[in-house]
Amino acid sequence: MSALAHVAGGAGGGTDQAPTERGRSWLPYLLLLPGFLWLAIFFVFPMIQLFTVSLQSQFPGYPGYYYRDVNFHNYLDAFTQFAPHFGRSLLFAGLATFFAFCLAYPLAYAMAFKAGRWRNVMMILVIAPFFTSFILRTIAWRQILADEGPVASTLNALHLLPGGRITETWVAVVAGLTYNFLPFMVLPIYASLERADARVIEAGGDLYANGFTTFRTVTLPMSMPGVLAGTLLTFIPAAGDYVNADLLGSDRSTKMVGNVIESQFFKVPGGFPVAASLSFTLMALILVLVFVYIRRFGTEELL
Amino acid sequence: MALFGGKTAGFREAKGDLRIVEVTKSFGDFTAVDDLSLVVPRGSFFALLGPSGCGKTTTLRMVAGLEEATHGRIFIGDTDLTGSRPYERPVNTVFQSYALFPHLTVRDNVAFGPKRRGLANATTLADEALDLVQLPHLADRKPAQLSGGQQQRVAVARALVNRPEVLLLDEPLGALDLKLRRQMQVELKRIQTEVGLTFIHVTHDQEEAMTMADTVAVMNHGRIEQMGAPEALYDLPLTAFVANFVGQSNLGMGRIIDSDGDHYVADVQGTRVSIPKARCQVSSGDVLFGVRPEKVKIAVSRAEAGRNDIPATVVDVSFTGVATQYLVRVPSGATWSVYEQNLDIDPIDLHPGDEAWLSWKPGHAFGVPVDESAIKVATDAPTTTPTVAVGPVTASSQGPMAGADPR
Repeated sequence: MSALAHVAGGAGGGTDQAPTERGRSWLPYLLLLPGFLWLAIFFVFPMIQLFTVSLQSQFPGYPGYYYRDVNFHNYLDAFTQFAPHFGRSLLFAGLATFFAFCLAYPLAYAMAFKAGRWRNVMMILVIAPFFTSFILRTIAWRQILADEGPVASTLNALHLLPGGRITETWVAVVAGLTYNFLPFMVLPIYASLERADARVIEAGGDLYANGFTTFRTVTLPMSMPGVLAGTLLTFIPAAGDYVNADLLGSDRSTKMVGNVIESQFFKVPGGFPVAASLSFTLMALILVLVFVYIRRFGTEELL
Repeated sequence: MALFGGKTAGFREAKGDLRIVEVTKSFGDFTAVDDLSLVVPRGSFFALLGPSGCGKTTTLRMVAGLEEATHGRIFIGDTDLTGSRPYERPVNTVFQSYALFPHLTVRDNVAFGPKRRGLANATTLADEALDLVQLPHLADRKPAQLSGGQQQRVAVARALVNRPEVLLLDEPLGALDLKLRRQMQVELKRIQTEVGLTFIHVTHDQEEAMTMADTVAVMNHGRIEQMGAPEALYDLPLTAFVANFVGQSNLGMGRIIDSDGDHYVADVQGTRVSIPKARCQVSSGDVLFGVRPEKVKIAVSRAEAGRNDIPATVVDVSFTGVATQYLVRVPSGATWSVYEQNLDIDPIDLHPGDEAWLSWKPGHAFGVPVDESAIKVATDAPTTTPTVAVGPVTASSQGPMAGADPR
């Protein structure tokens, strides 16, 4: 009996242990491999490629032909020439983030605390636009805001529209950006509010804070992780967006960096190095801004 | 919670006893609190004891202003608090889940109340309150960095720092382990004695209620079944529910058949027992006879005169050191329990299967109205003695302490 147990135990140990040990050491790498490969092929390699393009120089007299170089002048040229577009991108993205926050917070608050059985319906309504193409929805906005459209004609009739039109102005571009990135603001804020313990908010009232003070000192701080995530998810893609400025804005006054990059890549002969250096400059600017923002508003618990 | 409340907190100073007058609270068809009236004297430690769903937490939340009463009024002293907002009431709550503000340090959590009331020395007050709960060294931590027991103390400090007229404790010890819970019971009692505020403690743990409170109100189905000092509640339950919920009782269904001086004589499944008239809530007809397990003596031979007795068969003997618990089967088929303190030099020589005699002084017996549902509610809880019969039954207390020695 004991011999049998011994044999069984030994065999079990022999066949069980070795594979688990090997599995333990290899499994994490195996799981990471597809992701690593994906990122290497579709992110790291194109980034290096793009970076080398950004340093290329043109063959004098042959527009559209380049040679490999280390020409940082592209960066200086790109930045000085297109500084207004950078400014506009950051400004429009900032405005859109602000307006999206103003719209999203009450909506998320209502969904989390007041919606009751309508909560799921509201959630679907927030997500529903994703079932339609981003481009199509933006084109729809062009019709809504068009000169003969309902909004512009009503405002004109009331003499409330100084320029006479909405499209081709920054208002239309910011409105489009706000609309398109609103769900990215609503969902993280909703998630953080929904996670908040209702008793903690009650405790604010119990400790002599009225409704508004409780909101200011308890509810809002508790939802800051969601606000931080929402603003980043809105600001970063909005700063690089070019569809809204293209479809709703004008060529002269509302062009953003994204539009410049697009036209340098596809429309301007010999624009490749400039477009590439613009892309890197935009990336660097956003990284710096996000870093400063997180250092200012985020704490380690919030991230 | 209103997003935009009034600008100034209309804080109401009020001093005196807490009076709950004919308060009813309904949620749709369900009546959580049913025409409840209650006076809690100023400075007392009051416990609301009952099973879950009995309305005790709803009562507490109405006092705090977190729920609005459907009918009735709530006063502190002569000030009517009915309809006022939580932030207007001189009442603070220690929540069951503690509900500490996760984004604030321990000190800022405690200083929250004083700051809202515009007190300049809020931080000093907070530090004093943290001294009182013996946590001054953790003032700069965030709640997430504290253990459950420490969070509990912070929650107590955060409420106490405001010196409320009434402090409400909503099952504050429920999440703590047994040892810590005992320690906090003593601690809370010390703090209450030290600050002299009215404490209302909601709990489903009868032992906790009895250890801490001056007065215990036993609630069931939104009503108070019985209220009084712990000793009185334990010694003389007035209803079957209290007999079952507060401590353990050996119960037997019977009929009153005779009266003998200041005693009623009842027939319980063929056994004649006496119940003092002062301890019997019914004067004729069906009665639920009861006697506490530690009042019953077990012996090999029949006891001397002057005691009521029945024969029994020993089912189980558990030695606990200070006492021995016997489970015995009485003739009706139900199981009674008997606690014997181990006082004798020669231990009682009884083993499972042995025949024995149970006896008790008639003065320890009590009689309550028959209430099948109450017996059922109490005996449905996991107990050491799950047997329920038409005859004498044993029911033990509910809650996490079920089965523990009630002394």
